[in-house]
Amino acid sequence: MNIYITDGTTDCFYTAVFAACTDRDCIVTSAKDFQLPLGARLVEVATDEEKCGRVRKKLRAIDGGALREISLILRRGCAEREMLALRYIRLLIEKNAPVRGMLSHPAVLEARDAIKKVTGEAHNFTGFLRFMEGENGVFYAPFSPDNDILDLILPHFLRRLANQPFVIHDVTRRKAALYNTRDCVIADTDERVSVALSEYEQGFQNLWKEYYRSVNIAQRPHEKQMKGYMPVRYWKFMPEKQDTN
Amino acid sequence: MIDAERLKILTESAKYDVSCSSSGSARANRKGGIGNAAPAGICHSFTPDGRCISLLKILLSNKCAYNCLYCPNRAEADVPRASATPDEICELTIAFYKRNYIEGLFLSSAVDGSPDSTMERMLETVIKLRKVYNFNGYIHLKGIPKADRLLTFRAAQYVDRMSYNVELPSEHSLKLLAPQKSKESVLLPMRELAAGKRALAEEKSKKKPRFLPAGQTTQMIVGASPEADGQILRLSQAMYRKFSLKRVYFSAYIPVVKHSLLPDKTAGLLREHRLYQADWLMRFYGFSAEEIAGEGDNLPEEYDPKCAWALRHMELFPVEINRAPLEMLLRVPGIGTLGAYKIVRARKFAALGFDDLAKMRIVLKRAKHFITCGGKFYGADNAATVKALLALEARGERYEQLSLFSGEGAVLPMPDAQENSEVRSGTEKRGAEARAQERFALLSTAANAESARTGQL
Repeated sequence: MNIYITDGTTDCFYTAVFAACTDRDCIVTSAKDFQLPLGARLVEVATDEEKCGRVRKKLRAIDGGALREISLILRRGCAEREMLALRYIRLLIEKNAPVRGMLSHPAVLEARDAIKKVTGEAHNFTGFLRFMEGENGVFYAPFSPDNDILDLILPHFLRRLANQPFVIHDVTRRKAALYNTRDCVIADTDERVSVALSEYEQGFQNLWKEYYRSVNIAQRPHEKQMKGYMPVRYWKFMPEKQDTN
Repeated sequence: MIDAERLKILTESAKYDVSCSSSGSARANRKGGIGNAAPAGICHSFTPDGRCISLLKILLSNKCAYNCLYCPNRAEADVPRASATPDEICELTIAFYKRNYIEGLFLSSAVDGSPDSTMERMLETVIKLRKVYNFNGYIHLKGIPKADRLLTFRAAQYVDRMSYNVELPSEHSLKLLAPQKSKESVLLPMRELAAGKRALAEEKSKKKPRFLPAGQTTQMIVGASPEADGQILRLSQAMYRKFSLKRVYFSAYIPVVKHSLLPDKTAGLLREHRLYQADWLMRFYGFSAEEIAGEGDNLPEEYDPKCAWALRHMELFPVEINRAPLEMLLRVPGIGTLGAYKIVRARKFAALGFDDLAKMRIVLKRAKHFITCGGKFYGADNAATVKALLALEARGERYEQLSLFSGEGAVLPMPDAQENSEVRSGTEKRGAEARAQERFALLSTAANAESARTGQL
């Protein structure tokens, strides 16, 4: 049994797929703390432009939309994401045709679920992200999503807040998108960044909290529904869910 | 900048408006401006009552000249009054929008002075927000009945959505509880705006102005007056057809005001929920109001309206999953729109069995009594048992799990139903299905003819 260890990038994954696709009983993973099964052989995969290009070309020839779907699957926060993508690719190669309509096939179902989780969370964060105004006029938004969705939500905010300099910071993955109203770059960061807030910021946060309290209809409590739509793990960076005194 | 005290008063007066959607408009961000509209709409937060916050829902003023009995802001009520200036509203909207708290503004107002002067102030706010503050996000404006037509049409060019609240489902109740309003004063602007939008859609010029890209909605209070669900649904259906409304919202009556003409009990969230289910059936499942409930009937509490319809039409079921047309799949209790579309897509590749449906996350708890997969049937044998099982299941959801010794006689058929589930022959099924389809076609044409007659407002 071969274990292919990738460095987590898409290119490295496709390089691994080049061998793993026909290697029936193998595992592809990028997890650092992966526990090796007995008798397994470790293969450290180094990115190979040629192999990766050939896999991409083949997939594009079979199904134009597959590359995007796989890139979405690889953003999943769980350790099995590479295996989900590999099983989907194997099915594509086997059928030599688009397979996304085969909704009763386990590989397609898994892939579909993974994609839905990623795009669903990206949509949620177009709403749940909260900006704070910094002293220098730059708006700072920290968040810690389950999946790697920073560059999925970025175009939305670039369109919407085009004339507002901002930073969107993925705290768990330690990277941030920096935008100065002209260019946008994604950079690596520390987990904690200290930001000096503008003098108005606290005032607006208090107004928002007041609004949040007032718009609630106390006679119709339904906390379960609130938590279903807005999971507690997202509350950390939302001012309206901080100490309401 | 508006202070916390006034924000509280103006928000608390606006919160009973149910409409929260920010969908239907694709307004783009212009150069140098802020904001755009997302066609699917975005929820930005959720309050402990389970509702979403999408728009900044606020009144321009809660000083009202009208005296609608059910309203907490009515003229005679002893509540704190406040108003905001157009600039205050604009600044607050922009500040919240920049921090991604909201998707846009939902501006409403009490009738402060005359309808015309109120509408003028609202229009001023909206125009300022668009032109001075360069805001391209979503704006929902509540129309003021009896305001001048020119003001209304001017506003429609700046906002994304407008709504007039019908509030009570009949002229009689409106007269009783909201003496200054009449059915016509609410329906007239809705009709005019719908006609205006249609006329503009036919125009071919490229530079035509934007006119309510996200359409109109309305709202009805349920349970403050004696109208039955059947009547409410008929009214909704007529408005969907005549005014091309996007949504009709229902709000279960909450007794915030005590008065001898008003019930002192809330209408209950279950009734509101059933009405919304029926509303979805009309908008997405091809049902007509006449099929769902009789004119004077209320919707059953024990199961959802689709189950109720299916139980009245057991002769149409079971349907074969692998062959039934989409319209019929949509009518199977327990199968939703997504499920039906998934089935239609998946059955092109392979015939589907019950285990495939389960894998596709199609809930079979209710559906199994109404479908066959490749001729196999796993539901209960007769209509009475199905009825008992479905009612029981709904009860279990609402209260608690029944124990073996709770003395409920209706529990008993359950094991029998499982054992007796039979495998019927394919040929017999095909005949039954064809008959069912014929009946379905007859039924829907009859229903359409019926609704054409009763569709008058």
